[in-house]
Formats: sequence, structure tokens, C-alpha cells
Amino acid sequence: MSTKSRSFEIESFQFVGKKVGFYGSLLILVLVSMFPVIWIFLTSIKQPGSIVQFPVQYLPQNPTLENYRVALGNAPFFRYLINSAIVAGGTAILDVFLGAIAGYALSRLRFRFKLHVLLLILGTAMLPFISRLIPLFSLARSWGLLNNYLGLIIPYAAFQLPFAVWIFQAYFKELPDSLEEAGLMDGLSRIGVLFRIILPVSAPAMATTAIIVFIYAWNEFLFALTFMSQDSMRTITVGIALYGGQFETPWGTISAAVFTSIIPLMLFMLFFQRKVVEGLTAGTGKA
Amino acid sequence: MADVVEQSSDPPIEPSGGGSTGLRARFRRYRELDLTEEELATVLLFPVVMFLLTVSFYPIVDTVWGSLHTGYVLEHETKQFVGLQNYEQILNSGRFWNALTVSLIYTFVSVPIELVIGIGMALLLNRAFKGKYFIQAAILFPWALPTVINARIWAWMFHGEYGVINDMLVKIGILESPYPFLAVPDAALASMLFVTIWKTSSFMALIMLAGLSGIPSHLYEAARMDGASKWRQFRDITLPLLKPTILVALIFRTLPAFQAFGLPYGLTGGGPAEATTTLVLYDHKLTFNSLAFGRGSAAATIITLIALLIALIYVGTLYEPEVS
Repeated sequence: MSTKSRSFEIESFQFVGKKVGFYGSLLILVLVSMFPVIWIFLTSIKQPGSIVQFPVQYLPQNPTLENYRVALGNAPFFRYLINSAIVAGGTAILDVFLGAIAGYALSRLRFRFKLHVLLLILGTAMLPFISRLIPLFSLARSWGLLNNYLGLIIPYAAFQLPFAVWIFQAYFKELPDSLEEAGLMDGLSRIGVLFRIILPVSAPAMATTAIIVFIYAWNEFLFALTFMSQDSMRTITVGIALYGGQFETPWGTISAAVFTSIIPLMLFMLFFQRKVVEGLTAGTGKA
Repeated sequence: MADVVEQSSDPPIEPSGGGSTGLRARFRRYRELDLTEEELATVLLFPVVMFLLTVSFYPIVDTVWGSLHTGYVLEHETKQFVGLQNYEQILNSGRFWNALTVSLIYTFVSVPIELVIGIGMALLLNRAFKGKYFIQAAILFPWALPTVINARIWAWMFHGEYGVINDMLVKIGILESPYPFLAVPDAALASMLFVTIWKTSSFMALIMLAGLSGIPSHLYEAARMDGASKWRQFRDITLPLLKPTILVALIFRTLPAFQAFGLPYGLTGGGPAEATTTLVLYDHKLTFNSLAFGRGSAAATIITLIALLIALIYVGTLYEPEVS
């Protein structure tokens, strides 16, 4: 009896220990992941003098919004945010449309050269972006697309298209054939089946594609830096990268600018995290 | 446009009674669009293929073509054919080899570490617990953070005089006084590796999580019945079944890592002494600061060839046609 209760005690002790270990590791992970953002926030509300001191002041004394006033007042900050939203939104819409129709054809139709087309589309995913930068820069220049939203939307959409096609074809493969058969029996054409039956049920694939392509376009830097030389056309990543003086970096105002730009992203991740996870995992689990 | 919308909102079956002739006519037109599978595939894939040919393939060809010429980015018409001269210059340039070394170290140190940390994180997260989605959102956050903004944040945290990293290392007792991480070549490269591992491990974890969810749980039950230890279960079940996922993750991560640009640009600007100048940063400077169109294109072509080689090696060594 006593040995039994002792072993029970040990087991429950181990159980509690495991739980503490598990939640402890999670807590550490979350802290490590979020620390830079927390740090940027703390820096952004410090008095200018207390930002540059060592040992570092961890919690701000006399927190201030002065850095935000300077950061948001000086730079065309909201302009950058709007530019990013337009570019990322446009890219997402284009890729959802192109990805859906191509994904449908590749997953549910029989035709010659299917493998070749699939390889052509997915093969472009392997090509480095830098190898397309110079010619696309020349093209954009001769078509007047530098400092133009389309100048970024078109290359971004092309670069993310293989991913979009992959998501959609993986999703369409899982749909039952009976769905299309029912539509055809009801007298729909194949295009009718696509637009009135298949696309409406593919909302989950559309959402994941849109979100991930949106994040890509929001974050892209190489092309955004090269194609948008005009200050009013810059995206938020370029705006922030080029923010600040050449010699003395105003860390307080930069922190305020950075933290403001991160707020939409944090909300986005909080609300759409499940979709992001589903989207990223759609192609990998069932390779 | 309005007509199309109206058309598509018609009921799919022709109403048997009282159907107006207008409706019937429209419906017939709709039927006439009926295509064979082959035709429909052509119609659907044409825009996509044309788009990719114009925006992805033509530029590659043009880059290769441009690499055989000399001239400046902004004066396309002054191009002159010079054969392989640009390649010769690139391959004789110490800066190119330095950038190649930096990129290879960056890629092949960071990606394996990210993979191991990612698998560890995935094993930790691969269960149901309270607040899972909130925690996942927090852990995934580094991945969603724009690289160049991330770079600026870490540049501040690594600051040689006032950086919080210095402060923490001094407080723990590892450092006696602040160390200028980003001003010392080796330390700058190590810092850059640290930042990218921090950022991308969460993405690895996510892909691994997907792979783990595809492993049937009865395999573990059977192993447990046979008295297999956790480590044996991991080695003999998890790892082999995770192999396809690992391949996907390696390709997903290696090629972007090889093209790193935003991180060195924002963290160190490629310095000190080009210790963090990656290949793409080198090529970007060559093309847009020196405006050397031909050499920039030659460097881009070399980067493309190396990237394709890496992809081929991965697929060749890791890909196994699936049994199922």
C-alpha cells in the first residue's frame, strides 16, 4: 500500500514536472520570439537621453510619445503603409486568380504536356530573383512602370505564382469527382463548373494563398528598393530601411516608426495565424 | 460586365415552365462555351504560362544575353558584345569570391541549425494544449516580420555601446564590457547568422509540424507496446517519415538563404570590410552603384547556376519516389 502510494506520488510529481517543463519551454520560446518587438516598443517610449546609456535602462522612466510624434510627423509614413497595402493587395488578388485557374487545370483536367507545364511553373520557383532584376528593371523603365504600383505587382505575382498554383492544385486534388459530375449533369459547361462550383468551394485555398502572398509582397525588399526611387512611392520596408540619418542613427524615432509598422502585422498574425499554418502546410504534408 | 454577372447568377437548369425566351437564349450561349478538357486547359493555362514566360523566363534569358555584353544599366543602347569577358572579370575579382564564401557560410551554417531547432520546436508544439493558437502566432511572428525591418531592430539590439545584447552579456558575466559585434568582421557574420536563425527557425518548425501531423499515431502506439524508448521512436519512426518534409524544407530555405539581401543590407550594409556582403548584395552594388550592366548580369547568371546546382544536388540525394 505504501509503496503504491509512493509510486503514485512519484508519478504525479513527474507529471507536474513535465507540465512545468512543457509550459516553461513554451514561455521561453514566446519570450525569445517576441523580445525584439518588446524591446523596440520599450525603446520607442523612452526619453531620448535614456536611450543611449549603458548599462541599459530596461523599463522606461517618464515614458514619452515624443518619438512617435517625430517619426510619424516627418516621414510620409502613412503613405508608405498605403503603398505597401496596395502593392501587397494587388499581388494577392492577381495570384489568387491565376493560381486558381492554373491549379484547377493542372489538378483536374487531362491534357497533353501537363507534366511540362507543371515543371515550367514550379521550375521558376528555383530561379534566383536577382537573375530577373536587371531585365525587369529595364522593362519597367521602358514601359514607364518604375515608381508605379504595377511595376512591383507584376514581378511579385510572377514570383509567387508557383506557390499559388501549388496550393490550389493540392487543394483541388482533394475534392471529390462527384462535385463536378453533379454540375455537368445539371447542364453546366466545364467553365460553368469551374466558376460556379469549384471556385466557390475553394475559399480556404484562396484565403491561404492571399495571406501568404500578401505577407511576401509586404516584406519584399530587393525589388521594392530598386523599382521605387521616388519617396512617395516607397513601400514601408524600404521607407524604414532608408529612414534615419547617414551618420547618426536616431534610434528613438526609428523604433517608433518600426513599432508602428509592426502593429498591423501583429494583428494580422493574431487573426490569420491558423490560415497561415494551413497554407504553409498544405503542400508539404502530402508530397 | 454587368451582363456576365447577371448571366452567371441564372439557375443552372433551364426552368421548365414560363422561362422567357431571353433567358433561354442566354442559356444557350452559355452552353456554347462548352469546351473539351484539352481546350479548357489551354484557355486556363495560357495567361499563366504567358505571364511566367514574360516575367520569369524572358528576364533570365536576357540576363544571360546581357552578361555577354558591356554597357550601363541606364544606357541599354550602348551595349557591346564582349563574349565571356565579364565572367573573366567576375571570376578574377576577390570581392566576388569573398561574397561567394559569405553566402555559402551563411546558407550552410544557418539552414541546418534552423532545421534542428525547427524539429525541436515542432516536437514541442505537436500536441493539443490551451492557448495553442495564440502561442503559435507569437512563435511564428519572427517569420512574418519583414527581413529588413528585422535587420534594423537587431542592429539596435547589437549596438556596440548601448545595445541590449551587450548589456545582458555583461550582466550574465560573459562579457566584461560592451563588444562592437557589428564592427568586427567575424562577429558581424556570426551576428547575422544568429539573427537569421532566430527569424527562420519558426518557419522550419511550422513545416515540420505539418510533416509530424502526417505520421500515423498507431506507429507510436505499436512502438510503445514494444517498449521502444522515446529516442528510438524518434530515430526509427519520426525521422525516416519526416524525410520528405525535410527535403521540402531544405529546398524552401536553402535557396532563399543563398539569396540573402535584406538582412545584410539592414544589419551591417555588408560591412565591416565586406564580411557580411552576400552574393546578391554584391551583385546589387555592382549593378546599381557601379551601374555595370554586363558584370552585374554575369554575376547574376553565376548565382543562378549555383542555385540550380544546389537544388539539383538536394533533389538528387534526398528525393525518393514514394512507395505509397
